[in-house]
Amino acid sequence: MLGYTIKRLLQMVLVLWAVSVIVFLMMSFTGDPVFMVIPIDSTQAEIDQARRILGLDRSMLAQYGIFIGNLLQGDFGRSYVFGQPAMELILERLPATMEIVVLAVVIAAVVAIPLGVYAGANPGRASSRAIMSGSLLGISLPGFWVGMMLIFLFSVRWHLLPSSGRGDAVEVWGLRLSFLTVDGWRHLILPSVTLSLGTLAILLRITRAGMMEVTRQDYMKFARAKGVSRRGVLYGHGLRNALIPVVTIFGLQLGDLIAFATITETIFAWPGLGKLLIDSIYRADRPVIVVYLMLVALIFVVINFIVDIVYTLIDPRITVK
Amino acid sequence: MICSRTGAWRLLLGSAAIALAAAGAVEAKDLKVGLTSDAVHFDPQAGEELSSNIMFYHVYDPLVRRDADLNFGPGLAESWELTDDTTWVFHLRPGVRFHDGSDFKASDVVFTIDRLKASLMANLGANIVSATAIDDLTVEIKTPFPYAALPNDLAAILILSEAHVKAVGDTELDSSPMGTGPYKLGEWIKEDHITLLANPDYYMGAPKIDTVTFRPITNPATRTAALLTGELDIVQDLAVRDVDRVKGEAGFTVVTRPSLLNIVLAMDMREKSPTIALDKNPMTDHRVREAIARAIDVDTISAVIMNGLSTPSEQFVPASHVGYLPGADFHAMYPFDVEAAEQLMADAGYADGFTMTLDATNNRYVNDAQIGQALASMLAKIDIDLQLNLMPKSNFFGYIRVPSDNSSFIMSGWDVPSGDAGSMYSVLYYTRDVKEGYGQVNRGSYSNPALDALIDQADSTPRIEERAGYLRDATRILLDDIPMIPVHYEQDIYAARDGVVFTPRTDKFLWAYDMDVAE
Repeated sequence: MLGYTIKRLLQMVLVLWAVSVIVFLMMSFTGDPVFMVIPIDSTQAEIDQARRILGLDRSMLAQYGIFIGNLLQGDFGRSYVFGQPAMELILERLPATMEIVVLAVVIAAVVAIPLGVYAGANPGRASSRAIMSGSLLGISLPGFWVGMMLIFLFSVRWHLLPSSGRGDAVEVWGLRLSFLTVDGWRHLILPSVTLSLGTLAILLRITRAGMMEVTRQDYMKFARAKGVSRRGVLYGHGLRNALIPVVTIFGLQLGDLIAFATITETIFAWPGLGKLLIDSIYRADRPVIVVYLMLVALIFVVINFIVDIVYTLIDPRITVK
Repeated sequence: MICSRTGAWRLLLGSAAIALAAAGAVEAKDLKVGLTSDAVHFDPQAGEELSSNIMFYHVYDPLVRRDADLNFGPGLAESWELTDDTTWVFHLRPGVRFHDGSDFKASDVVFTIDRLKASLMANLGANIVSATAIDDLTVEIKTPFPYAALPNDLAAILILSEAHVKAVGDTELDSSPMGTGPYKLGEWIKEDHITLLANPDYYMGAPKIDTVTFRPITNPATRTAALLTGELDIVQDLAVRDVDRVKGEAGFTVVTRPSLLNIVLAMDMREKSPTIALDKNPMTDHRVREAIARAIDVDTISAVIMNGLSTPSEQFVPASHVGYLPGADFHAMYPFDVEAAEQLMADAGYADGFTMTLDATNNRYVNDAQIGQALASMLAKIDIDLQLNLMPKSNFFGYIRVPSDNSSFIMSGWDVPSGDAGSMYSVLYYTRDVKEGYGQVNRGSYSNPALDALIDQADSTPRIEERAGYLRDATRILLDDIPMIPVHYEQDIYAARDGVVFTPRTDKFLWAYDMDVAE
């Protein structure tokens, strides 16, 4: 287990290094950040002054060297546009994104798994077919459309929920959290539901497929014959054996939602990470993009690590090496 | 940090509201504004874009004030005069206080200008050599040459408190700004909202609106929805497709105003042009430039692509500007006429046309990519095969930069909030590489000694009427020479609920001090 962890850590460092190189290379093609910061009629002297202030007067290689050097000392660089440390910009927006993502995956798991078990155990029923058609909608409807429709119905038409923003938030250990206030919850519902739909549909379909496979197994019939309740068999024996692919997909989806909740955040004017990424790309703000993507890579590596551990809990036959 | 005060502010606001209600006093007025994006800075010398600019003018004041219609008048300076051709003396308004109660003094002006010259925004102070405090309420400003438009330039320089900046430090000014302006920063939750609180001691009188909340909502449809649900009182940049919807709703008004942003097409005038595979650049011939101008139908662009929400531009600067030539209209001089354009092309020896590339943005101006496509089909009628090279703005401004080795034909936008054509003409049309600070964005390498001379003359008189005269003559030359084709001004579109008293500003800087709300 320790060896496994160390191996994973080494892999992680390698992945992060690769991301930093790729982003640095890519950013040299996406335009000159100086022109995003200064007035366009600046003279050459003013442009040079701005380059010096931003540290862009050196060669690409030298800039990368400085970046890595600072990184090793825990300094992730400053945004060209904001002038603030890039890490600070990201961390101050992370809690908002985590809130809608966590709520979204909870909604997805709580709704998808029972429905998937039901549809998998009773494939012939009309209700199962209805569930499956519904999940197709969940996969195929684009998030921005669903978001706009929810705003139109729940905010503009029925005046039930606010259309956008984060509402009241309270501060806990320096983090702004909105799920501790009623107003915050009212703001959370629509974006979280929008964000959960795609994941919900995928989880549902995978759970169902796994359950259909598993219910045909002899040990299921045997357990029933021994007198275990139907419910006990489905969840205790069936779901447990169908869960491995569900957990895999769940982990990938979680990482995906944290990193790329952009569209949902834009539609609901949710003050999360996604908008920062888009704005930074538009403004060629390299320090922010580098740190953002490295953080995303880190999140994926960590989630995969956790998923591997969860495998061993679900199925004791699996060990990590 | 601002965030840590959240709870306290809410408590304060809450108890203030209760106290007022109990006393039966006038109800506190508040206004909620929907912006297209969050402010980036509260430090006016750290960068500029519209949302930040809007915040700057709430918190800080300039020496010279620019009103909604681009008229310039006294601000923190009550009056000013010239002592010699390059020396201006500004008399500061006595009794003005910063938000922290300290007095506004001449040393703050000097500090502001010195700090500006070393900042990313040094360009704003390009025509200032030095500022010196004569006494607490008198500042002397020197220009590098006689420069009549100095007061206009000063309208863009916002005065900082020397003591405050030194106390909080350069990088922290963004999160704890302090000026003399009509509002103070209450709280700023990034990407969520900015709350400004009225400064009751403002030197022009306390603002009518007590609390202003700005919410950045990037998605235009969400902005409209938030207005219709009553979450916002007024929104900026209403989407064109929502105009009819909002007009049809009872209780809401749509307000439009032509902006200052002039979309222009710059033509390369060098002997050899990068994207034209001919030995001689056809656009060096006036007839070809005129043919291109006549082949472009600005009215169709306005009606079809801009849904009527653009105003064809008559000249390079709007009528409110110093240097505007009354009565002259580019599109009346060279009206849309394909046959005449074809004839001009034939006369110039290009009856078979030629191929060149248009460099344009696809995310900077309203419908910029569609305008590019329309230009391609319009120029095809006179056999100019216009290739489109569209790119995001982050690439564009580096790509087209002088010496513009890649470009023959460029579409970009230009606005002159200083209200003075000279600041545009000197950087855009003055011969390149002959004078520092002149011609640095002359992307087409246009050069006309007569025009250079007029700009030199304009920049050698400290008297604004003389300057205006020279610049009007310059406008005449530019309209004749056609170094660029002016296309249109975009229109700013706002929507507000009834009861919001609001007049849009030409410079787009929403200013709550000028606004009021009636319940």
